[in-house]
Amino acid sequence: MTKRMAKWVSWGFLCLVLLVFPRVFGIYYSNVFVAFAIFAVYSLTLNMLLGYTGLLSFGHAMFFGTGAYTTAIALDRISGMPLLPVVLAGFVASVVLALILCPIVVRVGGTAFAMLHLAFGQLMYVLALKLRFLTGGEDGVGGFPIPAFSIPGIISVDMTNPLNFFYFAIAVLGLSTWILWFFTKTPIGSIMIGIRDNPQRVEYMGFRVTHTKAIIYCLAAGFAGITGSIYALFQNLISAEDGYNIMVSFGPIMATIVGGVGSFSGPIFGSAIFSIIEELTSRYTERVELVMGLILIGVILYAPMGFMGVMGLLKQRWLAARKVKLEGAK
Amino acid sequence: MLLEVKDLNTYYGSSHALQGMNLQVDEGELVALLGRNGMGKSTTLKSIMGLVKPRSGSVKFRGVDITGLAPFKVARAGIGYVPEERRIFPTLTVFDNLMMGVKRGKMVTGDPDAWTLEKIYSHFPVLEKRRRQKGHTLSGGEQQMLAIARTLMGNPELLLVDEPTEGLAPLMVKEVRDMLADVHKAGVSTLFVEHNLKVAMSLAQRLYLMGKAHLAFTGTVEELDAQPEIREKYLEV
Repeated sequence: MTKRMAKWVSWGFLCLVLLVFPRVFGIYYSNVFVAFAIFAVYSLTLNMLLGYTGLLSFGHAMFFGTGAYTTAIALDRISGMPLLPVVLAGFVASVVLALILCPIVVRVGGTAFAMLHLAFGQLMYVLALKLRFLTGGEDGVGGFPIPAFSIPGIISVDMTNPLNFFYFAIAVLGLSTWILWFFTKTPIGSIMIGIRDNPQRVEYMGFRVTHTKAIIYCLAAGFAGITGSIYALFQNLISAEDGYNIMVSFGPIMATIVGGVGSFSGPIFGSAIFSIIEELTSRYTERVELVMGLILIGVILYAPMGFMGVMGLLKQRWLAARKVKLEGAK
Repeated sequence: MLLEVKDLNTYYGSSHALQGMNLQVDEGELVALLGRNGMGKSTTLKSIMGLVKPRSGSVKFRGVDITGLAPFKVARAGIGYVPEERRIFPTLTVFDNLMMGVKRGKMVTGDPDAWTLEKIYSHFPVLEKRRRQKGHTLSGGEQQMLAIARTLMGNPELLLVDEPTEGLAPLMVKEVRDMLADVHKAGVSTLFVEHNLKVAMSLAQRLYLMGKAHLAFTGTVEELDAQPEIREKYLEV
């Protein structure tokens, strides 16, 4: 079997697993999986900034929250809003917010970038609490109608059915993942890594670093908005705590570090590790964050390259051992 | 004239790093900038590239004033820069490093003299052999080769190379020297900073010799050879 064929077979197998997942594991675990998928794609968007471009953001939640609030408010205030446009609205609103911030944030990096985002993130949190007429204050926006997925005259699927929503969420998040992956494979993907390694070097090669950073920033924000939008539809509720809380910003940072910064799939594995641990520990204790914190300390101390880095190291060792064995056999 | 630097003054804080620097490079020339450490050679290149902003004086490229322009504008104007310490992108493959050099991501088509991947690979076959390897896995000489090749992918009209043989093994020094000669033969005008006098003398058509922050000598290799006292004063330790 060729490498290419093996790749297609594994993708086909993954699709099949996702197709039968709700029927095999039931609705509860399907919902756990959707929550994981939202968190994983949200972490991927942060990794576009942190892992690929070297920009650490302490306020990424503002894009997640903005996407979520936009979808929730649109469905709450405007009757008859179709499903896909409200998800798209979450994307657009987050991109608009990113565009507003761009002139300030793309000029800085390092600590300044992180702290500016902390400040803007907290500002959005406070705004979500204070603008009660729009955001519902501490109560948030909830109980809004969830529209059916419909293509007029062809299909109409009820999205209040958890099974249908599972497939819808996985399709949107899967497509988002593919677009983000594709982006990293374009020339701009290499420029992102170049900016991470040395922005000045990229500049004297003829690229305008600030503009490139702005494109990456808006893309990461837009897709974080989509994950927020799916989250709002999934929970049928969004509040300042769920959308803009500082932990919503730190969560994907932890998942990315545990999974492996810089590797595309690292945040997915990091999110999976955290989701499994959360699921297991929450049965015995409420102090889930304590367990996660301990894991993070362990990773930083003993495996700073994260899950993907460790896997890469093990693979290298296995290949080297195999080579020695084969040479010995000769 | 391709490049004309006139009365350039550059400061690092209160330190006057370049004092009225003058320099010219003509079309197709290979020019060396020599001097001991800390004389301002790298600062001259950085001032041309806009990496440090000169306080006064001018840098003209093809008659257009580019003094103090942002580095990406200088690069787009047609000046390629290879910094010291072989600054490649270590986590990118050789192929990706080369593609990064393509200006605005657009390959030049229709020009038979343009530097393309094929041309780079034919001039530097080792890069083709290593095209899938990450930059950091290359040897020092190969990294230098990659840094120069990456800059050539942008099809610069003028190449600025800072200390191309610094820290390289003697065998690699020869390879990099031959590479620069090869690039020059292909028609690229080059201004390079070099501490290895032997390399500089064997390559350059003209030389600029720097004393402390200023120009001490201008002339050909033969003219410098004829003035041992200048060599002794400004180059020998």
